[in-house]
Amino acid sequence: MNFRKNISTLKVHHNKHTAGVGSVRIAPPKEVLLPMTMHSGAPAVPVVAVGDYVRVGQLIAREGEGISCPVHATVSGTVTAIEDFQQTDGKSLPCIRIESDGKMEIDPGLKAPEVNSVDEFLAAAQASGVVGLGGAAFPVWKKLDAVRGNKIHTVLINGAECEPYITSDHRMMVEHSDLLAKGVEILRKWMGSERFVICIEDNKKDAIDLLGKVFADDDSVEIRVLPSIYPQGAKQVLLYNVTGQVVKGGQRLASLGVIIINVSTLSKLAYFMETGMPLVDRIVTVDGSAMKEPRNLVVPIGTPVDYIVEQAGGLKCEAGKVLIGGPMLGRAVSALNEPIQKATNAILVMTEKEAKTFEPSPCIRCGRCVANCPVSLNPAGLAKAMEQEDEDVRFAQLTAASVGQCIECACCSYVCPAHKPLMELNKQGKRFVKKYKAAQKNEGGK
Amino acid sequence: MIVAKLTVSAAPHIHSGASTNRIMLDVILSLVPATVAAVVIFGTKSLVVILACVVTAVLAEFLFNLACGRKQTIGDLSAVVTGLLLALNLSTNVPAWQCVVGTAFAVVCVKCIFGGLGHNFANPAITGRVFMLVAFSAVAGGANPTIVELTASATPLELLAKGEEAAAAVPSVLDLFLGLHGGAIGETCILALVIGGIYLLLRKVIRWHIPVVFIATVFVLYLIFTGDVMMAVNQIFAGGLFLGAIFMATDYVTSPINTRGRVVFALGCGAITFIIRYFCAYPEGVSFSILIMNILTPYIEKWTAKEPLGGVK
Repeated sequence: MNFRKNISTLKVHHNKHTAGVGSVRIAPPKEVLLPMTMHSGAPAVPVVAVGDYVRVGQLIAREGEGISCPVHATVSGTVTAIEDFQQTDGKSLPCIRIESDGKMEIDPGLKAPEVNSVDEFLAAAQASGVVGLGGAAFPVWKKLDAVRGNKIHTVLINGAECEPYITSDHRMMVEHSDLLAKGVEILRKWMGSERFVICIEDNKKDAIDLLGKVFADDDSVEIRVLPSIYPQGAKQVLLYNVTGQVVKGGQRLASLGVIIINVSTLSKLAYFMETGMPLVDRIVTVDGSAMKEPRNLVVPIGTPVDYIVEQAGGLKCEAGKVLIGGPMLGRAVSALNEPIQKATNAILVMTEKEAKTFEPSPCIRCGRCVANCPVSLNPAGLAKAMEQEDEDVRFAQLTAASVGQCIECACCSYVCPAHKPLMELNKQGKRFVKKYKAAQKNEGGK
Repeated sequence: MIVAKLTVSAAPHIHSGASTNRIMLDVILSLVPATVAAVVIFGTKSLVVILACVVTAVLAEFLFNLACGRKQTIGDLSAVVTGLLLALNLSTNVPAWQCVVGTAFAVVCVKCIFGGLGHNFANPAITGRVFMLVAFSAVAGGANPTIVELTASATPLELLAKGEEAAAAVPSVLDLFLGLHGGAIGETCILALVIGGIYLLLRKVIRWHIPVVFIATVFVLYLIFTGDVMMAVNQIFAGGLFLGAIFMATDYVTSPINTRGRVVFALGCGAITFIIRYFCAYPEGVSFSILIMNILTPYIEKWTAKEPLGGVK
């Protein structure tokens, strides 16, 4: 029995309109733009030149130094440019642009990797180009790399998908449960894990039933049904709600003998192990009040947003805000030529009315942010610390209030009656602490 | 597809819909039963007190903002709440000019000069009441209900404090519950206050911890020290305990932001109220207890802060 109090607290409208909408492959886009930075860590390094003809699945950029991940062509066609693309937030991304010939010809060189040892398994995981598809974009090989030096006894397979609207993982579970089963086999074989917990929120009944049947004869696999309370799928929250364990600041999850892997990530990894086809496409939920109809689409990575919206049936009214990702954590874009990336699980188009922003007013200390913080921070207090003009005082207050523990789930901003951008302030606070520490180190070195 | 103007803002892109205005409106609505009860029990004279306080509160904030060149804030309705709460804490024999002076003090000196809503260290209505108590002596006692005839002009708490003989004149529990006795206009009708409190709980504007712990502490301490259940019941029903515990001690700005802190805060309020009433000459104690705990709030918050999940010391 589980007597622990669930630490996720926020009941948001699920708006999972696409839960029952099967995913459909879109017609090949005219071109794709593939950033070299679709994963956390060092950018990938292009291995093709302008004018090269590439096919689907072909390696076009190898992994960089340290933590990194390769990038593969997602359409067949010609490389037209290797250039920088400026994102709405001002970040400049090095990209490879491929003009599609519309044939979606598959690279004939692709074959399932031969794996006979843990090293070969990790090398294959690296070659797959798979990253955390739930949004983190952490290279999967690096996550699995924890097996060197840690006994990974438990794998939490994250199918919580707590963010409103998005059903990308849900559809993956329902449509490709075979891949998930293969993924479990692979991890059992090469990671030596004994316990697999597939964590699903209780608003995905069909996935729970189906996976219950798929793993009916496997005692090592547990389907854990979790309440649909945001942010159930966040790493720290899921770990605590399922196992009761807590990762201390600075500690790696793997040191507890646990890894958390998203259902889509594991399925895509299994697909590569089976077929040799690296990560070239994914399910993207296209929804929002301004869309004619909500859809789930299988989209080549690098496809621009406007083409996806068009393929989804277009808009029924003027768009007020376009999000890459979900409504809690997604990124608003100002231009629709931005490409979807490996970790993009949704595109939401909101109406002008929904896009209305509010002027922040003074904090009235109502305590809603404190009551709803899954990791028991005091976001109002942190926001106040950010107002300190003296940098030393600000640093002391921010670190005393553990700003670094913020999991950036946005619950605080969501509930704030004063419309304070509390999560954004915490992010800024984290950056400030990092910079301050670095400056201190430099001074100490002199 | 051409889209002319897209909004770009930081996540999250959806919101719970809660707003400061709505919270203040809920507090005003929750005070409607008590306000109606005040007019019914104490007659139209109480309307003068209420109007004087509310109008002064809004006007004082408006003029202060105007004089200081600040953004106008009367729209957030917090001035109305302050005025209304202060009015409910006064009796009908407080002249209108005193209401005006007291309210202006509460709004300008306790709230506005500290930076307005959210920046005051003490509850403006409570401080206004204490200010009036010091400046004009009587604020609560002296006035009697217009709808019933009473033999004693003293408030029940004054009677209870005077000893056994006077205590015999204390109204019945039912009369106490319905508020048919002397006192401040908004504090007597427990029924109306509880209805307002339930509304606030249902609207999730307040949580139960402060009112319940505050009232229970006073009750239990009286029970322990006097061993008299009737005494304990009279003590919680008579006087400003329900008004204070439900509407004043729960003021966000001046009470702890965390649940643990709120419990400690309420325990302190209850204990101080008891100490003042039981050991001191003054029969009331709610205002002072809340005011003292308001000042301790930052410390309580510090002592009771939760260890963040995964935090390392």
